[in-house]
Amino acid sequence: MPKILVIVPFALDEAGIARRKAQLKAVRLDPQSEFHFRPVKAGPASFMSPHDWTLMDLAIFEAGAEAQAEGFDAVCIDTMSDSGMAALRSVLDIPVVSPGKASMLFALTLGSKFSVLAQWPPALVRYKKALAEYGLAQHCASVRSFDVPPDFDSLMDGKQEAVFPKMLEVCMRCVEQDGADVICLGSTTMHQAAAWLAERLPVPLVNPGPLTYKLVESLLALKLTHSRACYPKPQVPKLPMLHAMLEAAAAVPAMRPSVTAVSKPPPEK
Amino acid sequence: MAKVLVIVPFPMSEENRRAREAQLEAVQLGPGLEFHFRPVRAAPANYTSEHDSVLADMSILDAAKHAQAEGYDAVCIDTMSDSGLAAVRSLLDIPVIAPGRASMLTALMLGERFSILIMWDRWRHLYRKTIAELDLGARCASIRSIGVTPDNQSLLAGKEDQVFPLLLAAAQRCIDEDGAEVILLGSTTMHQAHAYLAARLPVPVINPGPLTYKLAESALALGLRHSRKAFPKPLAPRTDLIDAMFANLGR
Repeated sequence: MPKILVIVPFALDEAGIARRKAQLKAVRLDPQSEFHFRPVKAGPASFMSPHDWTLMDLAIFEAGAEAQAEGFDAVCIDTMSDSGMAALRSVLDIPVVSPGKASMLFALTLGSKFSVLAQWPPALVRYKKALAEYGLAQHCASVRSFDVPPDFDSLMDGKQEAVFPKMLEVCMRCVEQDGADVICLGSTTMHQAAAWLAERLPVPLVNPGPLTYKLVESLLALKLTHSRACYPKPQVPKLPMLHAMLEAAAAVPAMRPSVTAVSKPPPEK
Repeated sequence: MAKVLVIVPFPMSEENRRAREAQLEAVQLGPGLEFHFRPVRAAPANYTSEHDSVLADMSILDAAKHAQAEGYDAVCIDTMSDSGLAAVRSLLDIPVIAPGRASMLTALMLGERFSILIMWDRWRHLYRKTIAELDLGARCASIRSIGVTPDNQSLLAGKEDQVFPLLLAAAQRCIDEDGAEVILLGSTTMHQAHAYLAARLPVPVINPGPLTYKLAESALALGLRHSRKAFPKPLAPRTDLIDAMFANLGR
């Protein structure tokens, strides 16, 4: 009975976690696999600057650092940014899978050019950086945004009718103008739109969260894990310090991610 | 119950076909999946020249061309050369998976640089083609050969004592001297050495055949298949003509 830890990159409450957990329904999984969703203790309230990326790296690292000792067989990281992946791989021997690089590599098994659908313009810089780092820029047809601010907690709840058609229109531009053979959803927070878009697009759509669940099953079944030559262990692990840092951070009153990430109009009276 | 057709790239006896089928034992597969191994009707003697590559493409296309109509849910092609992959994808709407490109892309999910371990130098052109197509030259640490003529029928049977240590030594040099972080077996015909190597090497070793079985399972579970934009359908499919080419060869 493989137990898989899914790290949710924001400190969400139960309802927020449930919205993330709904991604499990998008893919047929081995009935033996058990997926446990765990939010980070604390973290950034938005995700658009190196300040945010650094905080998220640390938060995800901390949330998964003991996964192997806790009896988990693998870890999934529920963010296209691959935050914390390299650090977790350096301390864990079990597979650690994150969807950013994996989506792009997987897209190249289905076609020769992919586009990434980004949420809004501030997100674009992160994808450009990742593409260069992964050496995949020449396979990327485009990164286009549909220009709607993200809500990392409520995701697209209640906004389907306004947002889905916008997403489709941008995807079609990626296909028709940029030459994309495959579309990668740029964030796991877009998963609610995946089935709707996949039905309407003439090319495959990679839904990043569910892909990682199937990838961990594959790595476990093939007895594969990341290469220690690529992710060397620390000479002096300081995990207690890491945990102390995040516990201290968790004691600081949190900002609800969506409130600060999105400049919403004030509620109507 | 999903049915997956595995195309074996050489005609062979039932005994040798079963040695290919033994690759299934190397991976835990989900319930409700059936794999059927089908050898092609004719093939080149080996894969050492462009002459062979063209014949291989056609023979694999022939063996897979009706897979969808026959009720299969996916196709795996059991060769690292990815022979026939593009052509079969252009005809079929079900997932079609081959291990060459997929092994390299999977290796990059586990490390930054891979080496390919091969039996003899006559295989080099197969990987160079894929590496060039994917522009992954900078990610390939090396391709190392042990200089032993492969046998695509009996595989490594009876040669374990001679071949396995050679493979191990070459793989270790890929890691120590070339900087490989992941090792790819260069051929599905090397699968019998996988467990031996994986148990002795300090980096992941990708067993290409079993990887494709799991990728086929994943493609089905995710509802994904190749992009029609990358693999357009023929305007005038001539499966009849392909069939005619092979129909009388075996007689």
